[in-house]
Amino acid sequence: MRRWSNLIVGGAATACGLIACTVLLWIVFAILFRGLPAVRWQFLTEQIRLVGAEGGIFYNLVGTGILMATAAVITTPLSVAIALAQGFYLRGNAAQRAVTLLLYLLNGVPSILFGILGLIVFVKYFDWGKSWLTGGILLGLMITPTVSVALLERIRMIPERYIEAAAGLGLTRSQIVRSVILPQSIGGLVTGLLLGLARAVGETAPIMFTATIFAGATFPTGIIESPVLALPYHIFQLAQDSFNPDVAVKVWGTATVLLGLVFLLSLVSLPIRLKVHEEARHA
Amino acid sequence: MSNVLFQNDTRQPRRFGWGLTRAMSLSLTAFAAVVLVGMLVLFAMESAPVLKHEGVNYVVGKTWFFRSETFGVLPMIYGTAVVAGIALLLAAPIGIGAAVFTAEIVPPRVRMPVKLAIELLAGIPSVVYGLLGILLLRNYVYDGLRAAGFDPLSGDTLLTAGLLLAVMILPTIMTLSDDALRSVPSMSRHAARGLGLTHGQAILAVSLPQARKGLIAAILLAFGRALGEAIAVFLVVGRQDNQLPGSLFSLEPLISSGQTLTSKLGGAEVNIAYGDPLHWAAVVGLGLLLLIAVTVVTLVAAWLQREAAHA
Amino acid sequence: MYPMFRATLIVSCLLALAGCRKEAGSTTKPAAGSALKINGSTTVNLVAAEAAEILRAEKGMNIQIDTQGGSAGGISAIGDGLVQIGMISKHLTDDDKKKHPKTNFKTIQIGEDAVALIVSKDVWDGGVKSLTKQQAKDIYQGKVTNWKQVGGPDQRIAFFNKEPGRGTWEVFAHWVYGSPKKAPSVSFPEVGGNEETRNKVASTKGALSQLSSSWADQKTVFALSLIGDDGSTVEATEASIASGKYPMSRPLSLITNGEPTGDAKVFVDFVLSERGQALLPKHGYLKMSQLKH
Repeated sequence: MRRWSNLIVGGAATACGLIACTVLLWIVFAILFRGLPAVRWQFLTEQIRLVGAEGGIFYNLVGTGILMATAAVITTPLSVAIALAQGFYLRGNAAQRAVTLLLYLLNGVPSILFGILGLIVFVKYFDWGKSWLTGGILLGLMITPTVSVALLERIRMIPERYIEAAAGLGLTRSQIVRSVILPQSIGGLVTGLLLGLARAVGETAPIMFTATIFAGATFPTGIIESPVLALPYHIFQLAQDSFNPDVAVKVWGTATVLLGLVFLLSLVSLPIRLKVHEEARHA
Repeated sequence: MSNVLFQNDTRQPRRFGWGLTRAMSLSLTAFAAVVLVGMLVLFAMESAPVLKHEGVNYVVGKTWFFRSETFGVLPMIYGTAVVAGIALLLAAPIGIGAAVFTAEIVPPRVRMPVKLAIELLAGIPSVVYGLLGILLLRNYVYDGLRAAGFDPLSGDTLLTAGLLLAVMILPTIMTLSDDALRSVPSMSRHAARGLGLTHGQAILAVSLPQARKGLIAAILLAFGRALGEAIAVFLVVGRQDNQLPGSLFSLEPLISSGQTLTSKLGGAEVNIAYGDPLHWAAVVGLGLLLLIAVTVVTLVAAWLQREAAHA
Repeated sequence: MYPMFRATLIVSCLLALAGCRKEAGSTTKPAAGSALKINGSTTVNLVAAEAAEILRAEKGMNIQIDTQGGSAGGISAIGDGLVQIGMISKHLTDDDKKKHPKTNFKTIQIGEDAVALIVSKDVWDGGVKSLTKQQAKDIYQGKVTNWKQVGGPDQRIAFFNKEPGRGTWEVFAHWVYGSPKKAPSVSFPEVGGNEETRNKVASTKGALSQLSSSWADQKTVFALSLIGDDGSTVEATEASIASGKYPMSRPLSLITNGEPTGDAKVFVDFVLSERGQALLPKHGYLKMSQLKH
């Protein structure tokens, strides 16, 4: 009996683990299998032609790059501010808990609601039309919790004696922040940014009403009425409106490129993150 | 974590003042809070006309015909709940089982690569899931259901959306459950083994019960994500309005098309409504309902995780 | 760490600036920008996007195209002054004009297409080759739910309705009910883009939907003939569309607010030129010179 229960629990857990891994790996395979044939150098360097049937995704890559860079610029001050407030400035449980809750809630907001928010604030109130800046701001807000938490984890790992030494030298708290905390936790910020961008790069819902169009946008020249193209929106459009089989190959190819970007961003940051995470928990 | 930073009482600042860095830090944090609260207020303000027009019928009304200015959201609430429910029903057991696998069974050498793979796969964008859904899964579901003797009208069903969501939230459940299980003190496990329990019994009797709150929090956070997913659901749910089942105890509604709060928000009506105050309010109202639902789920999950951390 | 600190300052100032923009934005309408912006019907998009590619390459023009909201999106984008050219795949109705009283709509027809009722292979092979207007109406209103009621196989009808705002839907409603406004409110699964429609109909048994006839390839999806009130059967062929006999034919048009000028005029003139017109048959549409009505 004892042996059986042992086997059943172990077996069931192993089966679940295998099912999960198999499903997820199959997904990656299904995409690469269909998409890789389309991914050629020209695919990355040419612009879309014939409504997606020919040419490549150059300006979609450019647009996605612009959105990511903007999101990073928007989220950095916010995340640094929140991590510092949480890890350094705010004192007392209540205040710290409030910030934790803020991060939780912000992280939970569905991405489509950022899209609607952008539509109301930037398109309707500000009259910006579709703009790369709107998209960047929305994505930046969306990933702020991810970046803050990664940064905070790193701040919490700074050895006590560094701060004590700095305090011993008579530095003010602000000086300690600037000369010890931030330089020591810059890695956490980078990790967090990479993770956050890995999430932002594939988001369609926040940008579809506010920042992206189907074709024709190149490099933005201003802010107002200045849309971009983007990889995820391209996939979303072509999944509904491709008029010949050539497009199907291209849409899978675009998905492959997008997946490659996501994996690249996560891979660079994941080992560090996993390590930090495990160490923090089991120190 | 015996960092001096967190021992608030023993450490007094030498010169306590509103340094610029501190002011910036606190005001930007406040800004983030304002964004969150502002979003709620803004959605409430923008949707006010429809609440005035429909009253409580907006939430309990069973029909949505925008051309005759009838806005009842109940079928979309139902669709959202069913789709997210199916996703949880499938993903929760498998996700927790897999977390037991990574946290309790495999040796550390296997653990890291598996965790790494899961974290990677958690990043697959929803539009890519949508593409898989519209080009592959909806056909598999259609053929599979027909082979099983059902008679679905098409492959766009609540079930299809639920299946797709289940895969999408699986990594969330696995990662968070893994965290919850790992935070069970190893002392408890050793004690259980010392009492003569097998490894399997120790998992059932000690690890899972002790990680209970963390596991529920994991499920709730995944539920929140499932409620709010738009793009993938949009492409496979069928976007059929006014689908309320005659009976709650029939499988038929699951294999029919439906509409969720998010599939409506991702669709053509957002553009059509833009210039029409009442219709626009009705559309933004969907966002308000969704935001409230997700906020409640997140609050409960956060509370549970805190409880778990203090246990 | 000062650089990061300074960056923080600068960005927060930018954010504050963004906050101030509301006043500026609400008092003066932003200039439309230097790009020629086009939005509307996905059906017309095939032609317009290709024309834009040619003009971009040959004249270095900056043209941005989007298809948000279909024909209705094109009309409201013109009405709201968001774009210089709208694309529509239906007649511009008085209701459309009433919605935007300040806009001086100019419609420039560039070709003709038709909306077909398309069915999946099993329905076609099962013997359904045509529908009467009354049958279409009964299916739309849910009175007929099985193909055997209209002479086909015993198979439930999986009707995918084109989503509201699509020109395709309006043309269908116009044929069946005389006006989109008179069409009753119904709930069916909705489809948006042309490929989504074709893909979903092709892969579903007993499927029916409305689709641009040029997309009905007669291999995966099949266009039904229509039987009008006078009892005559009309196939969705080029000849019957060109002669105006096919009841669900529709103009493909570009719309502008007032006479097109500048880049918009260049674009319109190009689409009406011989080379531009050649793009229409390429996508299965009729060019202006083929029309006989």
